[in-house]
Amino acid sequence: MKAASITRILFRNPPLLTLALVALVWIVAGATLRGFGAVGHLRYILELSAIIGIVAAGQTLVILVGGIDLSVGAVITVTAILLPLISPDWDSTGIVGVVVTLAVAAVIGLGNGMGQVYLSVPAIIMTLAMATFLQGLLVLIAGGSAVSVTNEAVIWLGSARPFGVPASIVVWILVAVAVLIIIHRLPFGARLLALGANPLTARLSGVNVNRTTLAVYALAGLFSGVAGLLVLGMNRQGYVGIGDPYLMTSIAAVVLGGTSILGGRGSYAGTIPGAILLVTTTALITVVNASPGWRSIMFGSLILALLLISGREAQR
Amino acid sequence: MDVTMPLVEARGVSKGFFGNPVLKAVDIALYPGRVHALLGENGAGKSTLINLLSGALRPDGGTILMDGRPVTKLTPQGARAAGVAVVQQELSLAAELSIAENIGLGATPRRFGLIDYRALRDRAAAVSALVGLTEPLDMPVGDLPLGRRQMVEIAKALFRRPRVLILDEPTSSLSAHEAGVLSGLVRTLAAGGVAVLYISHRLNEVQALCDHVTVLKDGMVTADRSLADVSAEGLVRLMVGRDPGDAFPAFAPATAGEELIRVDGFSAGAVRDVTFSARAGEIIGIGGLIGQGQEDFLLGLYGAIPATASKAEICGVGHLLASVAAATAAGLAYVPADRKKEGLVLTHAISANLLLPSLGRLMRRGLRDRTGEASLVADLARQFSIRGDTDRFVQALSGGNQQKVALAKWLPLAPRVLLLNDPTRGVDVGTKREIYLMLRAFADAGKLIVLLSSDTPELVHLCDRVVVFRQGRVVATLAHDKASEEAIVGAAMGLGIEGVAA
Repeated sequence: MKAASITRILFRNPPLLTLALVALVWIVAGATLRGFGAVGHLRYILELSAIIGIVAAGQTLVILVGGIDLSVGAVITVTAILLPLISPDWDSTGIVGVVVTLAVAAVIGLGNGMGQVYLSVPAIIMTLAMATFLQGLLVLIAGGSAVSVTNEAVIWLGSARPFGVPASIVVWILVAVAVLIIIHRLPFGARLLALGANPLTARLSGVNVNRTTLAVYALAGLFSGVAGLLVLGMNRQGYVGIGDPYLMTSIAAVVLGGTSILGGRGSYAGTIPGAILLVTTTALITVVNASPGWRSIMFGSLILALLLISGREAQR
Repeated sequence: MDVTMPLVEARGVSKGFFGNPVLKAVDIALYPGRVHALLGENGAGKSTLINLLSGALRPDGGTILMDGRPVTKLTPQGARAAGVAVVQQELSLAAELSIAENIGLGATPRRFGLIDYRALRDRAAAVSALVGLTEPLDMPVGDLPLGRRQMVEIAKALFRRPRVLILDEPTSSLSAHEAGVLSGLVRTLAAGGVAVLYISHRLNEVQALCDHVTVLKDGMVTADRSLADVSAEGLVRLMVGRDPGDAFPAFAPATAGEELIRVDGFSAGAVRDVTFSARAGEIIGIGGLIGQGQEDFLLGLYGAIPATASKAEICGVGHLLASVAAATAAGLAYVPADRKKEGLVLTHAISANLLLPSLGRLMRRGLRDRTGEASLVADLARQFSIRGDTDRFVQALSGGNQQKVALAKWLPLAPRVLLLNDPTRGVDVGTKREIYLMLRAFADAGKLIVLLSSDTPELVHLCDRVVVFRQGRVVATLAHDKASEEAIVGAAMGLGIEGVAA
């Protein structure tokens, strides 16, 4: 295959382009920077990517349906603070606490959906209001202090390595498979893509707009909840603000993966390398000991560059 | 007439996109005072030719002349300065701006560098009066129905006092009355020395209005002649090289089957207190001026807008259908007039569009059955002669083929009632005929077809009965033998016609 046609294929396929970029950075950095290419370091990159990837799973669904979820960070914080508070002492496995917390996260997401469906509030406003509301509530409940986790299940999620693979990566793989099936192999996925691309056509074609919207936001809440448990397991402590870094990164991972911010086009297949690319960039900045300011500058430039390259080509 | 010089002329222009020639050595000359028709099926190159004449595109070869002088680099600004105004088929109005602001957009009168609203208002009022726009000028364009917006678009072109006026399918969204106003206007302009280029799929309109015709077929001029001695049939022959006598399939009276729709005291949107019933196997036409509630009638039956009725029975369900999902489940299907905005997901594949209504029906082990779906898509494409790769975006198809996708996607659900909203709007003659044949076949197969159409001949030739709406009410129900164009238009305009049973 000629080089020209390879670049053509890459530019036409945003997920592949992002993946190629990740591979390129790993190979170059691994060969030139001491410590970057070590198995432990790469595994650590993937562990961090898993959390962004799981949050971005919900964000991908929401953006595909033509919305945006600005409450993912707040939901992570809610789960990280709520779980230690509600896990009952009599349950030594910790599973009851996990289930209840995840249910709360999903209900918060459902609330985001209900605001849009029943009150006709735009996604950006509804989820922003939800995030602000939750943050206020957390300050009232938890005050300024951090809460430590004793829940066995969550500690296991944060530290276990079945067959040498960190549990967070295992969870990410499960989430990824589920989301890819939802988007590509279930009627629900095709309906949400149609709804994101043209709500009017979708409605007149028999798509149940309300039910689809509710389900998508509930799933987004659920996935943020899962990520929150992983964050808590790794940190062993929950505090106000713990979820904040994941809001912008989740949106960035989706966009880097080539999903249209306008909805209706894209796939989680792009978000996966998108999340890895974000964490890799951060790691690179850390390894070369540059200012964290460069990290943000790199993120911004990367997003714009990839969008321009693949977006222009896809318009044809 | 040839003693005068053409205001705009194209000599041997050609244009291609991505290697596909769209226009091949085309000549056309627009003379002052002449109404010039440009005919051709969809994809014949009409829009491209307009774009060349208005400077939106540059020709690959050949020359454009303005007032007899060749112009090498014609820009939209240059064309406007030379007096060329185009009324596009796709409306280019800003919904948030008022009628007056839209009319003046880009050519607003200024005073001290600010918009002179008083002058704008006066001049906008003058052109609005010409086109019969009676709405208040400060009304946002977004609040107007489609047909009235088209009139704003025309007023906008007139505002610039054009010497050359290009009208691209101006009547496709107009009512008979509005179209009549437009015809009068075009004649007045031509009498005043304006050169008019008139594109339309409605041949009787072209015949009544135009002096001269250029026919395009596959990017080449197949006729450039006076219209004086050409009949409508002759025009179609020039366009398609086929006899038009069979444009409509032979009418066959319905063998009325089971009653599928019966509503009493039905109200929805603009519709007030309508009684309506229809049986399997019938084709029922819905006519009237634009925006008299016909669309709301279909949408109300389809559960897409809130509706009430004192009594209703639809496909065996003893009440009105409350949602689109309930309607499709009961066996109704709706094909919207605005296929780009309402009927199709343009940025998705043809296959995805064809599968959308029937998602969830073809499943294997809880997942979508890819093989089954692929063969369903292939079947539909074959049945509706939608050619080419079905993985292409539906955007890539011509208007006629897009309409076929919008219709074909319902077939897997085997609907018993087809609610069609102007299915042949902006569709070329060849595809129109295909659609007519399909409707006939559907009716023969025992489906009920409710055909809302702005094209009166369709109502006359295809329908068992024509129900005419005026101001949200049914003013006439005409049986096939009583449904002449005159009777339908008369009833639509509120004239009492003899022999009309309401």
